[in-house]
Amino acid sequence: MILAKATSVGQGFPNIQVAPVPGHPGLQSKEVLQKNILETTAAKVIDNLLTLPAQTVVGVEPGARDIVCSGSFEEVNEYFLAHELSDGLPIVPPTVEKVGEFLRYTDRDANEVLGVLLPDNRSATVWSVAVNGVMAGCRPEYMPVLIAAVEAMADHDYGVEHSGNTPGGENLIVLNGPIIKELGFNYTQGVMRDGFQANTTVGRFWRLYLRNVAGFLPHKNDKATFGNTWRVVVAENEDVIRKIGWPPNCAEFGFPLGTNALAVGRYTGGNHISSVSGATPEALLPYMADAVVKQYSWQIMFSVGQGLDTLRPLLLLSPILAETIAAGGWSKQKLKEALFAQARIPAHQFERILRDWTQKPTWNLAEEHLAGRIPVVFHESDDMNRMVPLVWRPEDFMIVVTGDLGRNSCYVFAHNGVLGFPVGKEIKLPRGWAPPRKS
Amino acid sequence: MKSNDGIGTRESQYAALWPRAPRQAKVKPLAKRLDTLEGKKIAWLWDYVFRGNEVFEQLEATLGARYPGMTFVNWGEFGNTHGSDERAVVAALPAKLKAMGVDAVVSGMGC
Repeated sequence: MILAKATSVGQGFPNIQVAPVPGHPGLQSKEVLQKNILETTAAKVIDNLLTLPAQTVVGVEPGARDIVCSGSFEEVNEYFLAHELSDGLPIVPPTVEKVGEFLRYTDRDANEVLGVLLPDNRSATVWSVAVNGVMAGCRPEYMPVLIAAVEAMADHDYGVEHSGNTPGGENLIVLNGPIIKELGFNYTQGVMRDGFQANTTVGRFWRLYLRNVAGFLPHKNDKATFGNTWRVVVAENEDVIRKIGWPPNCAEFGFPLGTNALAVGRYTGGNHISSVSGATPEALLPYMADAVVKQYSWQIMFSVGQGLDTLRPLLLLSPILAETIAAGGWSKQKLKEALFAQARIPAHQFERILRDWTQKPTWNLAEEHLAGRIPVVFHESDDMNRMVPLVWRPEDFMIVVTGDLGRNSCYVFAHNGVLGFPVGKEIKLPRGWAPPRKS
Repeated sequence: MKSNDGIGTRESQYAALWPRAPRQAKVKPLAKRLDTLEGKKIAWLWDYVFRGNEVFEQLEATLGARYPGMTFVNWGEFGNTHGSDERAVVAALPAKLKAMGVDAVVSGMGC
């Protein structure tokens, strides 16, 4: 009810009617569900079909460049908190002067619209990128990164409209290119830790922009059951990937090594896998493949089920781990193929998870394959103990080299499928770009 | 700027901009409601979650019993409105609904 009311405003139907089912259908017996429908839902459905509700008046909002508050640092912050314009941390007051400093780091017009973001249906303008960048504590020279991030947010394939869904997954921005060093992004030890201005504030910017422009506010459009705090930006260690001859993460989206680019995907969780030990890739693989399998339960329905072919597991490899795998003669593609072959679960388990999650009483991989909906790799025999992959093809795995130079660890992210599908964008620098001082 | 010279501090004043952007969707009127349900054709749209199949089945039984002339179009005719091809499914709706002669739509399930 709350979500429908909040979402309907952005769709232009603030008075749209809903018919509630009391409680949650997922926790009701068939009898209780039937009783609830009979006693509550059916009457409301009939009423909604026959009775037009009164028109709702939507309140007037400020203009795109309006000053909404004047005062001290504390007064501005109190205003932003009271009007749900802040994430709870102090914000840098977005003044015309500060916004102007950010706009100097782009050749794009401040009024340019990068996309329209659901559910609030607001224009993602260059101006609003600068305003929220100021608020997040970014430096003005981060502006090209912020613009690329919002272009990714507005990409239909990313699916920003799903950002308030139940699992409460959070995005991860992965950065490539010379801009990593030029802007002082951390790409070594503690790469996912706050404490590095570029990584931290760009990560915070993403969540502020989701809140202020897309419109995802907790208790309204953001219906995360638990939620996550925003993640800091992860930058890839391009020194290492050059050394071992692996393509960068941005190559997944057609950008060669040396391109300033970012990728964004949404992940419901992840786990650090310590002490990945072995002198050869063959020795290292089983532990890593096992770690991948353990991160995926209901999310497999993005491979087969609610989604189809929209699951992209992401692994971060520490540099010496990637170097050891490469020293064994494995390319990144070879590693993906090995993960595809080994990160598998029995067919009966795959089907049971689908049944558990979807509540659809029958799930049959063989039937799905024979109907032409999924590839043969999910049905190479009728043996229910056959091992089936988590994804459709090796290329679905994404691998990023980053983190502590001296530790043999990896990190596996649980991807949120079509509800935050990975997209990549080039970071376009303004004419006359000169690397500013490092933070 | 206002100064508190007595303690050697200066408290800055800020004129803060609105961080949102104008909504692009204008308020639109809802579709005209039906004058009766007798003889009308209702389509169910489903996002394949929260037991919508059972909910719609029960609603169909209840409404069908109360209005014997009502007919229904199963959600399976339209596809998943919340799956990997949701944009195509939603884009195809107007033509499908028109071709099927649907009078009204009930879409679910939210949470």
